[in-house]
Amino acid sequence: MQIAKNPLLNKLRKKPRIGENLIQAVLLICGIISVLTTIGIVFELGKESLLFFKMPGVTLKGFLTGTSWQPAIGEFGILPLLTSTLITTFFAMLIALPLGLGAAIFLSEYASPKARKTLKPALEVLAGIPTVVYGYFALTVMTPFLRLLFGSDTVQIYNMLSAGLVMGIMILPLVSSMSEDALHAVPRSLREAAFGLGATHFETAVKVVVPAALSGIIAAFIIGISRAVGETMIVAIAAGSGSAFTFNPFKAAETMTGYIARISGGDVAYDTPEYNSIFAIGMFLFLITLTLNLVSRRIAARFREVYE
Amino acid sequence: MSAKRMLVFVVIIGSIVLSACSGGAASAPTTAPVATEAVAEQPTEAAEELVPVDESGLPEVDPGALTGDIYTAGSSTVGPLTEAVIEQFIMEGFSGQIKNDIIGSGAGFERFCVSGETDVANASRAIKTSEVDSCAQLTPARTPVEFRVGTDAIAVVVSKDNTFATDITLEELAMLFTTAEKWSDVRADWPAEPIQRFTPGTDSGTFDFFVEVVIQKPQKLEKLEDAKALVLSATNLQTSEDDNVLVQGVEGSPYAIGYFGFAYYQEQAANLHALSIDGVAPSGETAESGDYVLARPLFIYSDAEIMKAKPQVAAFINYYLTYVNDLIGEVGYFPASAEALNQAKQAWLDAMQ
Repeated sequence: MQIAKNPLLNKLRKKPRIGENLIQAVLLICGIISVLTTIGIVFELGKESLLFFKMPGVTLKGFLTGTSWQPAIGEFGILPLLTSTLITTFFAMLIALPLGLGAAIFLSEYASPKARKTLKPALEVLAGIPTVVYGYFALTVMTPFLRLLFGSDTVQIYNMLSAGLVMGIMILPLVSSMSEDALHAVPRSLREAAFGLGATHFETAVKVVVPAALSGIIAAFIIGISRAVGETMIVAIAAGSGSAFTFNPFKAAETMTGYIARISGGDVAYDTPEYNSIFAIGMFLFLITLTLNLVSRRIAARFREVYE
Repeated sequence: MSAKRMLVFVVIIGSIVLSACSGGAASAPTTAPVATEAVAEQPTEAAEELVPVDESGLPEVDPGALTGDIYTAGSSTVGPLTEAVIEQFIMEGFSGQIKNDIIGSGAGFERFCVSGETDVANASRAIKTSEVDSCAQLTPARTPVEFRVGTDAIAVVVSKDNTFATDITLEELAMLFTTAEKWSDVRADWPAEPIQRFTPGTDSGTFDFFVEVVIQKPQKLEKLEDAKALVLSATNLQTSEDDNVLVQGVEGSPYAIGYFGFAYYQEQAANLHALSIDGVAPSGETAESGDYVLARPLFIYSDAEIMKAKPQVAAFINYYLTYVNDLIGEVGYFPASAEALNQAKQAWLDAMQ
């Protein structure tokens, strides 16, 4: 009490800084907006998919285990959409993982500054291409190439393989840049120790640096997978527009995202089974990518090796 | 100079980003050419044929004297025709806003009768009673008025590489799109290859019409839904509202079959082959005479109250009915019979009283 009355101390007291407070408030609002948006999306998805599950003929069990997806006639099994999503993702990762990691190792361990200077922007250009362009690339370049390779009777014009491979090219820069960050973060002393023990450049890269950066690399892979699962435009254009329960990558089969894009594209009336179903699928997709992201964070945290 | 360039650059980037973001981007670039093609060929014609057709008693329209907005939406078949009329309407001086959304007949009625957003609904089928009912429940209530604007034929197409199928019966067509798995299941001398089916979206008027004519009526099914179920449970089925997706799919394999509006077939006639059904090939004469079984009427719908409240809408429909026959050939459909068109003009006069 007495201190507060001391005129000298009063002078030293924290002055209200309006500008600072304003900035803080604005930043807080930014944070809140993104949280609110997420809550809003989850709420809306949940509400609308509840509407879907309340419809006659729709059960959770049938939704998760049915092998035929044709909402217009009451067939609500998500498996055909899920398998084609997984198949396209598999082929995307078949391209993106090895090439992405390889590029990352090269950039971080081998590349001269000059090579880095050309290679990195090139990869970034790849990341900047709109996905719709990738989609038509798949349909007009990759598919004809595959048909040339395997015969046009085997490879259908719309097929999962083509979409998956091109999706892999699209995801490659994401995987390589995240992996490279992880490799780059490995302390120099580790490399020098390996060299000191007589390891070759390759041994150092593969047996010392990559294991040390493993958590970051796995996180990059998982983010890549969740990107592939959620990718829409490429599969909508190149993978076909009818659900099919098939494991043959040469055949057309619509993915979850492709279905949502087609149905929400304006051709279906509100409050029909088709329309409501896209929210349930959206929810399902959201849960998949959320799980993947959580797993990736867990892995990154658990396997993080702390040096120095 | 550089500022101008910058602007162009920004616009291009902006449009790329926008198209990448929107879900329906796949259809946007493909539907556009139809409209622009129709546009490109009108100006000369429009200039020559300004003489109004007046026998029907429709008042003359001066698009330049009108303002306000017009919003049409619906069938992907009627859409390009409406687009062509709009282009000429604007060409002759209409300065207001016209929006024409191509979303399918069902969705078009949805916007006309449920959300009540649109002034005109484009449809490749007659309005259903349920849709009339929901129009009546709007406030203010809407009473759909039908205007016949033309005739479309659905072409059943196979790839040029398909050398075995040229003429099929309606029954065979039904098998091809339902129970048959291989071509040889339909005719023994056709190859034992799986049929790849391509069909317009389940909410399109084209799909409804095809299913009704090919499956529901011949098999005497009570409900259209049952007939749809037969089609939709077929294997190897690709569904798209975007006709170009279908065209590309059918071109892609000799064992593919699909169907869509005759207009799209004409554009792609070099790579596709239209099948005759029961010996009748699709053409203007066979569509008009009714010999070709897959021919259907094209309509636009509006409401008398809207037409009275928004004179630009009434004038647009008047203009549509007056000039549609000059444009319809370019777009790829067949003119409605003089009788049907006169009926439409009479409906306009009745609505405006």
